[in-house]
Amino acid sequence: MEFIVQGLSLLFDPKVILVIIISAIYGLFVGAIPGLTATMATALLIPFTFFMDPVPALVSIVTMEAMAIFAGDIPAALVRIPGTPSSAAYTQDSFELTKQGKAEMVLGVDVVFSVIGGLIGALILMTAAPLLAEIAFKFTTFEYFWLATMGLSVTVMVSRGSQLKGALSLFLGLFFSTIGVDITLGFPRFTFGSVELLNGINFIPAMIGLFGVSEVFRSVMHGELAYPIAKVQAGKIFKGMGRLCKRFKLNILRSGLLGTFIGILPGAGADIAAWIAYALSKRGSKEPEKYGSGSIEAIVDAGTANNSCLAGAWIPALVFGIPGDSITAILIGVLFMKGLRPGPLIFERQPEILYAVYLSFILANLLMIPFGYLAIKSSSQMLRAPRNILMPAILIFCIVGSFAINNTVFDVGVMLVMGILGYCLEANGFPVAPVVLGIVLGPIVEKNFMMSMIKTDWDVTQFFTRPISAILCIVTLLIWFFPLIIALFQKVKPSHPKGRASKME
Amino acid sequence: MKKNDCIAGCLFIALGLFIFTQTFTYPSLEKGHPGPDLFPNLLAILFIGFGLTLILKARKLFPKTEILSSTPKRISNAFFVIGIVAAYVIIVNRVGFLITSAILLFILMKKLGVTLFKSAITSILITLFINLLFSKILRVPLPYGILGW
Repeated sequence: MEFIVQGLSLLFDPKVILVIIISAIYGLFVGAIPGLTATMATALLIPFTFFMDPVPALVSIVTMEAMAIFAGDIPAALVRIPGTPSSAAYTQDSFELTKQGKAEMVLGVDVVFSVIGGLIGALILMTAAPLLAEIAFKFTTFEYFWLATMGLSVTVMVSRGSQLKGALSLFLGLFFSTIGVDITLGFPRFTFGSVELLNGINFIPAMIGLFGVSEVFRSVMHGELAYPIAKVQAGKIFKGMGRLCKRFKLNILRSGLLGTFIGILPGAGADIAAWIAYALSKRGSKEPEKYGSGSIEAIVDAGTANNSCLAGAWIPALVFGIPGDSITAILIGVLFMKGLRPGPLIFERQPEILYAVYLSFILANLLMIPFGYLAIKSSSQMLRAPRNILMPAILIFCIVGSFAINNTVFDVGVMLVMGILGYCLEANGFPVAPVVLGIVLGPIVEKNFMMSMIKTDWDVTQFFTRPISAILCIVTLLIWFFPLIIALFQKVKPSHPKGRASKME
Repeated sequence: MKKNDCIAGCLFIALGLFIFTQTFTYPSLEKGHPGPDLFPNLLAILFIGFGLTLILKARKLFPKTEILSSTPKRISNAFFVIGIVAAYVIIVNRVGFLITSAILLFILMKKLGVTLFKSAITSILITLFINLLFSKILRVPLPYGILGW
């Protein structure tokens, strides 16, 4: 209780409130503009958070991401383009309902169920994180090694499109993480005599390049997207929401829990949560035929899941320092640079900061009701924001942000190279998120492995014989062989009617 | 997709081989245990293995990724963006942030088809906004050139 009061007092500082409001507007704007993702918004936000105190820095990321993931639903409903990848799962359904003249209801559902999902995630974060932190105290280098390896494996498992390409992206990230002085002997690796590279690739310019500059390239190369925008009467959006909440209370609970769980899984983010919630919703629905042609149930489920996922992703990030998604991967990079080491020790030494984070999740989600309303009201103006002015502005922000961290133009060069790389990867179907997770998880995997080996004089068996270590090892192996197990299972049971039906689509 | 995947596969294999050439000279830990070279070498093997698989699989079909159409003019836009960043790096310390940013923004907006008047006004406004944000609110020094701007 004492910490809640302390957390509240940290949160209700006028400066922090101002940061929350600005982050909310920023998140809504970036989320609502197709092509600008929440991850990119985080990357562009880092240079600012870098110069703030820890509490406003964390709170601004929380508020921004919650708003951005919701706002991604707005263009999905109005112009059939998801604002962020997290809204992609139910874009079709949203737009079909808009065509049937139900735009107000869809947007109302988007706001209300995003809020509910976010609150479920926040409550689970508040209860689960301190409990897990107790367990985390028992973790040694062996367990951290497996945990990070598990994170890497999940990242590849869930990468969209080809897992082979996801794996290659991940290896690239891991390779970047080896650049600089090595942890065992202090030997410089892949630095080619450059002093700037001794400390490794600077994380912030790399993120800005991968997510910000690559987007500028994509936009200038593919031109303006012209779309007709459906009209909405924002005043009507909350009509009938109480009834829908009652009708779908079980869906809310299921998708909220599912979303948070997927968030907790290292490496899987809100977009995956939405897709899985959508699939499960369809399987459990009484009207599966409506899915794809305008099902409100689908939007309820997937919309709840993607927002609850956000808080879930903070659980492994805060407790173990292992990112739950690409946004928290960036967050961990920032925390390290600010000298805050995520892990169980924070729970003992600075619990008030954590409570401020928990409470800011609740506050951000509650604020989503008025802010969401305003965003929907001004949606047509936001969607008309001209790209050819926006992109130059984003580019200059990227440059200034990359420069500001260390005041060197070398970092601007890093940003540019990463931007070109990010664009080329995406253009050829290689996902970019695994690169970031590789950069963040690489040092954790290597450091914990080498330390464990040196500690035990190269006794590998310790990785498998310690109890928690063994469990994590089994889980990791299961993830690796999951596709194989599924394939075998389908061979044994080839003619399952439901399985076949879902395969047909 | 097929051709690009083959090229990507070759690049990854080349990267793997390159890593081997570098780690060759890395020292090992006492008793000959692998040290700084262990992870890079492991990655090199993975790059080569997965790169080969990518080339072999490129023959079969991959889920088709969306390839948006791009005209030569738009490709030139991308090189233009690279040029803008390079120009910024070269001149910012001499000319200062305010002038560099305003001029480069103006040029890029003109190139992307914004009208002359709009480009001029917005590039100045954005520059002033960033200056206010970084040097006044966040107190991060931006580069000031010979004119002190």
